[in-house]
Parts: sequence; C-alpha cells; structure tokens
Amino acid sequence: MPKSIFMKKSDKSQQVNTPDELTADENIILDAMGLSASSRRKFLRQVSTGSLGIYASSFFSSEVFAQTVQDLPEQAQILLNEIKVNLRVNNMVKPLAIDSRMSLLDALRERLALTGTKKGCDHGQCGACTVIIDGKRKLSCLTLAATCEGKEITTVEGLAKNGEMHDMQKAFVKHDGFQCGYCTPGQICSSVALLEEAKNGEASYVTEDLKNIKSGLKLSEEEIRERMSGNICRCGAYNNIVQAFKEVHSGDDVMPTWEFATAEQMKKAKNA
Amino acid sequence: MKTSNESGVGNAINRVEGHLKVMGKAKYASEFPVPNKVYGQGINSTIAKGEIIGIDTSAAEKVKGVLKIITYKNAEKLKGYDQEMPFISTDTIAPVLQSNKVHYFGEYVGFVVAETFEQAQYAARLVKFEYKEDPKPTINFDKSRNKAFKPSEKSDYSRGDFKKGMSEADEVVTQTYNTPIEHHHPMELHATIASWNNGKVLVYASQQIVEDASIAISGTFQIPNEDVRVIAAFVGGGFGSKLNLDRHVIMALMASKMIGKPVQATVTRHQMFTNTNMRQQNEQIMSIGAKRDGTLTALSHETLSHTSIKEIFQEPCGMVSKMLYNVPNNLVTARLMPMNLQAPFAMRAPGEATGSFALESAMDEMAWKLKMDPVEFRVKNDTQHDLHANKPFSSRLLVECLRIGADKFGWENRKSEPGTNKNGNWLIGYGVSAASRNSPYKKTYAKVILKLEKDKVNVTIQMDATDIGTGSYTIIAQTASEYLRIPIDQITVELGDSDFPPTPGSGGSWGAASFCNGVQSACENAVSKLKKNRNIKNSEEVALADLLKRNQLTSFEAEGMAEPSDAFSKHSVFSFGANFAEVWVDKDTGMYKIKRMVNVASAGKILNPKTAYGQIIGGITMGAGMVIAEQSKIEPNFGNFITRSFADYHVPVNLDMANVDVIFLPEEDKIANKMGIKGIGELGITSVAASIANAIFNATGKRMRDLPITPEKLIEAGLEPGVKI
Repeated sequence: MPKSIFMKKSDKSQQVNTPDELTADENIILDAMGLSASSRRKFLRQVSTGSLGIYASSFFSSEVFAQTVQDLPEQAQILLNEIKVNLRVNNMVKPLAIDSRMSLLDALRERLALTGTKKGCDHGQCGACTVIIDGKRKLSCLTLAATCEGKEITTVEGLAKNGEMHDMQKAFVKHDGFQCGYCTPGQICSSVALLEEAKNGEASYVTEDLKNIKSGLKLSEEEIRERMSGNICRCGAYNNIVQAFKEVHSGDDVMPTWEFATAEQMKKAKNA
Repeated sequence: MKTSNESGVGNAINRVEGHLKVMGKAKYASEFPVPNKVYGQGINSTIAKGEIIGIDTSAAEKVKGVLKIITYKNAEKLKGYDQEMPFISTDTIAPVLQSNKVHYFGEYVGFVVAETFEQAQYAARLVKFEYKEDPKPTINFDKSRNKAFKPSEKSDYSRGDFKKGMSEADEVVTQTYNTPIEHHHPMELHATIASWNNGKVLVYASQQIVEDASIAISGTFQIPNEDVRVIAAFVGGGFGSKLNLDRHVIMALMASKMIGKPVQATVTRHQMFTNTNMRQQNEQIMSIGAKRDGTLTALSHETLSHTSIKEIFQEPCGMVSKMLYNVPNNLVTARLMPMNLQAPFAMRAPGEATGSFALESAMDEMAWKLKMDPVEFRVKNDTQHDLHANKPFSSRLLVECLRIGADKFGWENRKSEPGTNKNGNWLIGYGVSAASRNSPYKKTYAKVILKLEKDKVNVTIQMDATDIGTGSYTIIAQTASEYLRIPIDQITVELGDSDFPPTPGSGGSWGAASFCNGVQSACENAVSKLKKNRNIKNSEEVALADLLKRNQLTSFEAEGMAEPSDAFSKHSVFSFGANFAEVWVDKDTGMYKIKRMVNVASAGKILNPKTAYGQIIGGITMGAGMVIAEQSKIEPNFGNFITRSFADYHVPVNLDMANVDVIFLPEEDKIANKMGIKGIGELGITSVAASIANAIFNATGKRMRDLPITPEKLIEAGLEPGVKI
C-alpha cells in the first residue's frame, strides 16, 4: 500500500461510526463499558472503533467484572470430560461447566474474560500467570480449574478496591516496574503475596539462618530479588520492580538511578 | 514553538498506559472478546529434512469438538516466494502447509481447529504423520563450512590495505569469538485471533509493525491490502521476534476462511523455538593491529553464520567494526551456510549486540597486550568521521561517554593486573566497552483530532505505531502535550491499528524519532492551519481552546508527516554509549555475580528519562543474559532444539541482576531530526556482553571468547599468556 496519508484505509477512521455499523464484538465492548444509546453515540463520535480495546480497558474495573462475564457470548461448546465447578474469583462466584483438563489460567482468560492473568509459558516456569489462592501465590497454569471449588481466588483485576489501585499497583506505575506489561500482573500478584510471606516470616533460598526466623521480616534487596525470581520479566525491569516492592514493603522510597551529565562533566570529559 | 510544560518532552512522567497494565486491563492480541471464536493448534514436524508420505487424521477427527484438520493436502494454495533464497524482510509473505517437504525440525505440518483449547491441543497430538526421512540433514554448524556462500555483493567491505596495515603493527591480536543461537522469548506468546469474513480480514495479532503484517497477509493470500486490518493495541514484548508475520497467523486465517468462524491461535513456549525467528549462531574472527602507542593500523571482522534452506538473513556483525574506530585499513566479510533450521531474523540490536562482543573483547585484548588503559585505548582511536560511510557523524560523544562513565564507576580503582583484586574467595574484575548503534529514522504519518469541550481541548492522536514496552504511548502523548501546550490528561493516544496513518512501527531503534517527529508535524499543522484561517501570526501565542473558538470550531483535525531531511542523509547517525561492569568470580566454582554496572548513553534528546532508563536497563539485562546463560542448543543427530522451555533456555531473573547507574548525556541531535531524537532501544544491549567478559578477564586472567560464559567453561579455561597469578 502506498504510504499516503490520503489512503483509503485512513479515510475509514475519519467516519463517525454509529452503533448499527459496529461488529458484534465492538458492541460487546461498549456494553461492558456500560455505554448505551446516547452515551454510546457520544463516545463513538470521539473515537474510531479501532482503538476500542484501549478505551474499553480503561473503563473496565473490577465492578464491571460480572457485567463483562454476562456479556461474553454463551458459546455452545461441546465439552469433553465435562465438570461443573463454582469459581470464586475476586469475590464473585461463577458456576462454570468446563473440560476437566482446563487449567485455572484458561478458565480465567477464556471463560471469565479475566485476561489480566497472563499465559507466558503454560509450564509453570515464567510466573506470568501468578494469582493469589487462599492468600498464597500460585501458578494458575499448573492449577486445574476443577480443583478450585470453594477456594478464594484473587487475580490482578481484584486487587483494586472501589476503583482505587492497590499500593503495589501504584508503586509499579511510579517506579516503572514494567515495560511491555505482560509479566506485570504476575509480578504484582507475587509481590502482594510476598508482603504477607515476609510478615509471616517464611524462609527463602537465601535466608541466612533457618533456625532463627522471625515474623515481620524486613527483606533485604537480595531477599527481594531471590523471592521475585519466579517471575520472569524479559523486558528487564527487575531493578524497578525491586524499588516498587521496597517502597510498599518497607517505605524505602528510592527512585531509580538515572541522571544527566552536567555541563561541567561534559566539559571535563571533552578536554581531558 | 518553544514552550514546555510538566508533561512535555523531557519529563520523567509515569507511563500514560501504566494503570491499564498494572490493573490487568491492557488488551493483548488473544484477549479481545471476539464472539464465537474457536481454537487452533499448530502441529510440528518431527524430522529435520524429508517428506511426508502419509497422514492419518482419523483418531483426531473422532475427538469431540474438532472442527477442521488442515495439512498440505487440503490447505488453500498460497503465494510462494518469487525467487529462490529471498532476503526476508518485515513484510515478507508467510506461506505455510504448501507441500509435503520438510525443511527443518519443528516446521508446521498441520493445524487443528476445535471448539476448545483443550480439544485442539489433544487432537493435535493424535494426528499421525509418516515421513520419508533424509538421513543427512544439514544441522551441524562445524561440518557445514563447505556450504558457506557469500549472500550478496554488499557482504564484503574493505578500505585501505588490511594486510599492509597488519604488517605495520607492533602488536597483533587474532582471535575467534563465538555466539550461540538465541531466542527472543518475549513474555507474551505470539498469538492471534484471526477472522476471515467475506474476503475481509480482521486480525488481532502481536506484531511490532502492523502495516507490514497487513502487507504480508495480503501478499500471502493475494487479496487487496485495504481488505486487511491488523490490530496490536498492546504487544507483550517483541525484541525483533514480532517484526515479521509468523505462520500461525496465516494458518488461523486459512482455517477461519474454511470454517467461517474466528480462530484464536497461540504459539506455545516450546514452539517459540522453531516457529518464531531467532538470533543465528555467529563465528567471528577478529584481527587487530596496533602501534606501540595504541594507534590502530588494521582491523578485520569476518563472520560465518547460518540461514534457512529457503530464505536469507544475516545479522551484520561486522557493521560496528566498519565505523567505531579510526582505523585506516579495514576488512569486513560475511558468509552464510544454509542449514535445516528455521530462518533467523533480527534480535535486539542485530549485528551490534553480537558484533560488539567480538570487537570490544578484541579491543580489550589489544589494550592488555599494549599495557594501555582500555578506556584510553578507545579514546585514542576515536573519530568524528564515519570512515565506512565517508560522512561526518551527526553527533558523536563517545569520548564523553567513556570518560564520564569511568569517573562515575570509579575506574581509577581498577587493578590492571588480573587476579589482584580479591575479597575472600572472590576475584573482582572491572570491565569496559564502547557501544554504538545505528539510529535510523523513517517516514511517519500521524493524525491529531481536537475537540473543544467546556473550554478544554481534548486531543486524540492516531497512528499505526506500536508500543512494545518501549513507551510509545507515553512519548507520543508528551510530544502532543509539548507542541499543543496542553496537559497530558487531555490527550488520548490510539495506536496499533493498521487503519490509522502509517508509521514504520517498532523496531530497529527508529520508533521514538519517527513517531514523535510525525506527531510534532501533525500538531504543528493543526496549530498553523487554525492560525492561518484567522490571519494570526505564527509567532503569536494563542491557547489551543481560544484558537478553536476564534475559528468558531468545536472540532478540528490535522495530519502530519515527517521524514529524513537532506542533512540526515549527509551524515552518519548513530547513538553512542559506554558500559562499565564489576564482576565477582568465585575462584573455586567459577560461579560469578555481576555486582554493579554503569551505563552512559548518548542518544540525542531524552524524551522521558524514566522510560529511557527502562530501555537501557532492559538492554543491559538481555546483554547480561548473553553472557550468563542464553543459548539454544541443537540435538546433533536429529536437529531439534534440546532447549525447549525456560527450564533449559535460561533468561536472566531478578536475582541475576544488579544495580545499574545510567547517565544520559545532555544533547539534542538536530541533524538527526527536528526534535533531536536518536534511538535508545538497542543501544542498551550493545557491548554489554564484552564489558562483562572483560571484567571476568580482569578478575581471573582468563579470556572467555565463547558465549555464554558458564562456570564450567570458566573453570576449564586456561590463563591468558602473560598473566601471572
């Protein structure tokens, strides 16, 4: 396609879409956002549909979780090894009929539209799928959904309270504890659970004295790095993740270590 | 327009999309609620070379929920390559399932579609393939040397007289450096939800360049490009692996066309080794000649790599040796061997990441031979003229990078004799390396939409750029904030839709410069048009809201375009940097720990130090991975990767990393482009491996020339001649 600004495709985005012209999935997104009739038209005057994903996500919050689920099309799925399970996720209970082989990760993503929990390896090796089950961090890809009846599951979507982000979420934003954002929900669920592990005085690989463990641990940087090493971040935001955790864990608000060279440094370097 | 505000360019603001990412609301490719979608699963060959002679789908077809099984027998005919061994690019077609021939272990040979993910996975395992195996696949790097060929006339470069230069030298270094196959492994698995609806294609896919993905799709299916729409609102890391279109997207689309439903397909982590691209193995032979006073007389950089049986790609390892130092006699060559492996392609800083390991290790070896300080040796051979391109550099502050970094790091405390800095069982070493990375700039369009609402102007920016973690959303919003002089919370950035104005996408360190100059142009056009309409002088400052009111408008749209200037093409435009590493090596076990690093980056205008810092430490982390662990290993008899998950292919984890101090040099490169921006996404990885390897030498007296440097290699290695420990 010629890289012309007046190309045909670009023109499409100048049109004002009306609800009648939307595809079914675009309508679903708008429903999930609670936008109907006039508010929907107003919204559509502002945006093209191409970016609905981004808009939709900025309007989603845990409060509309139930609505999102209801709005997922009831797919007439032919199931093998069908099992019924009541999943209690983020304080909502959802009865599901699932394939007995379905992982909790796939149940969250493909059946409950809780796509905040990420599939990074499906092997229990990367940590992207970390959720909190009964207060402990768990890998949802290694957890069969069918085993979760009666358990309390918290995903990244359930950490905010009344629309207000959890302190750990705020700290990740402030310290730039991510880049692409894909490992982030797992990093944050791990970090939130780790706060409790430290309070309870649980040991780790780098705990120096296993005979003398106290509750209410203040984790050293090495301890934090070790205990967060089950969550891979390929973008390499580890140092910022450590800073974010430190701030919430111990109040040590150390910002990342970047600076600009001064004019004096520049002059000295040039003339040396 | 010379104003700035708290959210304009240069400010360390938080990422504008950050709240979406930390709350799990950012939507990646396979996360859009597309109704009635079904699930596809690719099947991989289990031989490296041969033919399929039988396919039994009967067991798979009996699985409840299975909708379609596609193999070469029933696949749609797709466009093939127009020539033998084409050079692959970011918009190359991706034909798949077109014949019974198998070219490498893991090549797609089938695709199963079922109602659920579980059914598709299970059924894929039940499809039986019978092969006639060629007993002699080309899978061994060392035994394939006789197949090496020169891929193009541009593969070889020379200036001056290399042999004469070597004969004039007082000291010479000739060594071979090996880097293994590496895989990008972005955390988001390559995924798609692909819909074929009456000839119209809608694809949600993890792609770094949506425009090129749409070109590859329309080319493969031979359909008009305007019928193809690719959406990548968020991309969970790319590092080069999502530059081109992978074949799972084509298979999902083909299936969607056949069954009339959207098909979701996710490449498994195991498949990421064979069905996405990779960094190739490189054998680099370096020769350096220098006078006693440190003046370089000759430098050669000869690279042997491999490509696939059907396509050509070679990362330009020797690039860095052509331009980094003031050396009159220079020879750079590149050879390729076709092997029964998938096509390699660009991985973060292709050429520079691996080439700088060889060059900057060899430079360190020469400094040791000359008994010169490695920083001063590099400074001595600095040049402000690119001898390869025969153009001046637009700006080059390499000396400043080295000296300022040395001060910050405490380089003066380095002991030049290896093995003399000890702490208990630890041997402590300091290493340095210089870095350079080409900083391209490409034609970019952007649209700005202004809406006046209650005395406030809300702005939307649209372009088909992507944010792969690089910070595009944020720096684009900052640019609009700067040039429209409005706060950032009134700005919405919409990216990653091929229906938006075209950009070069994310890759090759061109994103920031291209995107922001495009946005700057759109903003400037909007303001100047509104002023012109009312005969307002361009120099007169009028608030945006007033400007709309004086035009009696409540909304206004403008587009803009930016492209390289004449000045750009008359110069060589590179970012520069320096890495300093402190490494502690256990003298008995060979285990080592990167204790701290200092990086100095000279990358033009820093648009946002917070996201720029992320790019640098991200590059350093991946560069550290090259040294400590990353390696994809091939089984020598069968040609499959024996590293097939994160349990075997080790990427750096949190505990592997240490504190990194980053210093940005204050510069604006106005020759590079109007906003003075240069690339930073790949600068960070460049030469990191050499700085760590050089620190290991300084600690132990052992020269480690094969990556990764594992403890067992370090224990086995002998001391370098001349080292006294």
